[in-house]
Amino acid sequence: MKLPLIASALGIILLAFGGILLLPAAFAGIENEYFAVIAFIVASICSFALGFLCRWYGRLYRNFDLLKRTDGLLIVTLTWVVVAAIGALPYLFFGLHPLDAYFESVSGFTTTGATILTDFSLYPKAFFFWRSLTQWLGGMGIIVLFVAILPQFGVAGRQIFFAEAPGPSEDKITPRIAHTAKALWLIYLLLTVLEILLLTLAGMPFFDAICNSLTTMAAGGFSPHPQSIMGYQNNTVTWIISLFMLLAGASFALQYKCFIKGKVKALFGNEEFRFYLTIITIFSLFLFYFLFNTQANTFSDSLRDSVFQILSILTTTGFSSADFALWAVPAQAIIFAMMFIGGCAGSAGGGIKVVRILFVGKFLKREIDQLVHPKAILPIKLGGVTVQDDIQRQMISFLLFYIVLMIFSGLTVTMIEHDAAIGFAGTAATIGNVGPGFGAIGPMGSFGFLHPLTKIIFIIDMLVGRLELIPFLAMFCPDFWSFNKN
Amino acid sequence: MEILIYGTTEMSYLVASRLHQQHNITILHEPGELGEKFGNLDVRIVEGSGGDLAVLEHIEAKKSDLFIACSLLDEANIVACWTIKKIADTETICFINKASLYKNFSSSTHDRYHVKYDIDSIIWPEKLLTQDIFRIISVPEALDVEYLAGGKAKLFEYRIKEGSAMIDTSIMDCKFPKNVLIPGITREGKLFIPNGSTTILLDDKVFFIGLSTALDTLAADFFKHDKKVKSVSIIGGGSVGFMLAEKLERTDKKIKLIEQSQERCEFLANSLKKTLVLQGNGTDLELLQSESIATADVCICTTDNDEKNLLCSLLMKQLGSKRIVTRVGNIQNYQLFEHVGIDVVVSPKASALTEVLNRVQVQDVDVLALIEGGKGEVLRLTLPDTFKEIQIKDLKLSANAIIGVIIRGKEVLIPNGLALLLPQDLLKIFVMKEDSDKIKEFFFR
Repeated sequence: MKLPLIASALGIILLAFGGILLLPAAFAGIENEYFAVIAFIVASICSFALGFLCRWYGRLYRNFDLLKRTDGLLIVTLTWVVVAAIGALPYLFFGLHPLDAYFESVSGFTTTGATILTDFSLYPKAFFFWRSLTQWLGGMGIIVLFVAILPQFGVAGRQIFFAEAPGPSEDKITPRIAHTAKALWLIYLLLTVLEILLLTLAGMPFFDAICNSLTTMAAGGFSPHPQSIMGYQNNTVTWIISLFMLLAGASFALQYKCFIKGKVKALFGNEEFRFYLTIITIFSLFLFYFLFNTQANTFSDSLRDSVFQILSILTTTGFSSADFALWAVPAQAIIFAMMFIGGCAGSAGGGIKVVRILFVGKFLKREIDQLVHPKAILPIKLGGVTVQDDIQRQMISFLLFYIVLMIFSGLTVTMIEHDAAIGFAGTAATIGNVGPGFGAIGPMGSFGFLHPLTKIIFIIDMLVGRLELIPFLAMFCPDFWSFNKN
Repeated sequence: MEILIYGTTEMSYLVASRLHQQHNITILHEPGELGEKFGNLDVRIVEGSGGDLAVLEHIEAKKSDLFIACSLLDEANIVACWTIKKIADTETICFINKASLYKNFSSSTHDRYHVKYDIDSIIWPEKLLTQDIFRIISVPEALDVEYLAGGKAKLFEYRIKEGSAMIDTSIMDCKFPKNVLIPGITREGKLFIPNGSTTILLDDKVFFIGLSTALDTLAADFFKHDKKVKSVSIIGGGSVGFMLAEKLERTDKKIKLIEQSQERCEFLANSLKKTLVLQGNGTDLELLQSESIATADVCICTTDNDEKNLLCSLLMKQLGSKRIVTRVGNIQNYQLFEHVGIDVVVSPKASALTEVLNRVQVQDVDVLALIEGGKGEVLRLTLPDTFKEIQIKDLKLSANAIIGVIIRGKEVLIPNGLALLLPQDLLKIFVMKEDSDKIKEFFFR
């Protein structure tokens, strides 16, 4: 690994990020919140300064064509850690503790949606706008954004593009990676604008429509309203957000093919997407059954809440149309199960991903079939194509790591907090980038009162979950850290 | 007709031996590969390459009406067909044994852009065999099935099993539905054309020809028709096994396929959607039992090894298989396979031969199907304008034959003795192979 090369790449990203920070500053200016303007300008200056420093340190390395895989992984990890840190700076100006500010920022960029705020009335509009914007930027992936807008990366873009979201398939929709990144951001932007329009038409205030749309498409879950979507008391709004959560949890590459290129079959013929729809339908019905029978809700309310909540947790958005922490245990169990699945590969959702769940299901079925037919040759197929052995191994080991990490983190937090619900539900909610857990950290609760150690563990969980473990695990290999000064 | 055959494979021998008495045949062969049996044929034999213009000019290939390329090498066949097109506009038939090449030359896009220099017809024997097997097993209980007149009429072959109402009754006394005829019976391996007083015996294999609806009634009355073929076992995952499984998958059948080679198994499992691919030997009794291969509605042995196919079929029969279809490579083994009680014996060569004969026959005569490995034939011929109107019972045929179907305009008739024959009628005639020429002569006097 060449440190100057990595610094050089990071420098470019920080300079661009400094530019992005001017956006909330401008917003604050329009809203006449001059104190907030200062906060964002300071953060922007910090980003520029750090960016120039990195560029100066790596001044000899302007060509990234020789970027290695490990370099790519480190650049991606550093980008997420550093960008979240700079994104946390504005929060300091509003009296947040530095650890809380970093927690909130990481929760934003990783689209988790877990918050440490308790009283929403203390903060100006620009504060909430920035919170939502961090999620929107993180939703499609910061790296994907920079590969799309910065021409400097060139060939190396491919390396870091796939390091950020190492899904089981390399799904490129155009031959060149920069074009793919642009196409993905295009569909992302279009859907967001469409949602803002629909929400405004449905009667939501314009500012709230913007913030909620930014976080819906990112599968994030921050809402400027302290009671999340439940606070708007508007059925139409709830259904519109359900629809866009559904889209946010589906692969954007496929949506690009479907909506922009007009190949409807690309989306509905996809095995993962159909399985995704099946999960939503079946579990919504289950949840509906419990809500309708045990919570004594009306028919339409039960239907609305069950569909909304399944989508919200499955796609790892984390909005709430009702306080599910108060529901009966069977209903909570269904919600908890959803936390482990996550969105489709190539979507804004986090978690294990639908395609891996589908694969594991087929993998287990094969083991059973093989018992009955010892001599049969049984390949595992996804979408009619056989999954290669090395990819099979990757997916199984991913799942294993995910579980190991969850148990480890869950147990540690349980010991710190003396509460297994916070330990395991909190871990599942942060590592899966879902957001709210159960009990005190439920949808109407807050992560603010937790022990600082717990917060640090959750911050790591969120980052690791968003980057799908691979860059994190690579760092445990000693050879990863062999720097080459020349 | 002047026919030029390139290559000295078993296939070219079959074609030549079938046609050498009526047509002038020249066999072109590469140096040193001529088998002894070709000496018994009344043909001209020339040594040389099919792709050599000088040789083709020397043997006056320009005068030939049909060129059949059936050497062992696919590529040589293709080149030979192209070469002869340079000399003359001869019709060419090219034999191919590889799937990739077959697809190159025989697809709808290829037909659309057919130019003068293209090969006229491509024959891939294994593909034809697959179609034949598929047709045979798509009808439950029947041993053999042929479609005539676009499916409006059919030819079925059934084995008369114990308990059947037909045993020991003469054909006249059997209560068949209307529009059904019995044109042929195979008894102890011998095919013959029965008359009204012939008695049907146990274990006879009886052919029925008739309208589709009538045959369905017949099947319902005399054979257990309600059992649909639901499960199929295939031994051997070569081209035939693979294509057959692919075709059967589309009709929602439960398929088990046994293949020996690990590599081929992986290919099959990757390419087929629902088929259960088993790696193992088709003669491994333990495997056959543990996977209950023989309980399938139909078992098909289609390895490229006759000995293995035979052993496999016998094992299955012992395990109680209801219906066995077996591929035979060497036509000489055909009789033996039939004799030991295999229900249907099929051969890629027989399938290909039918196809070639269709091209060769003159004067509106086609061979629609070869029966019992070529012992009988279904001929299709159109009566000439000069033909005098006559009732069938007054027709003094020079040999034993049964007129199975008359197609007049759009009408499909199954005739009895009183039916009239008119000029321009299209007839489907069931005839023994040795009488086939006599019948043709009779109608085209």
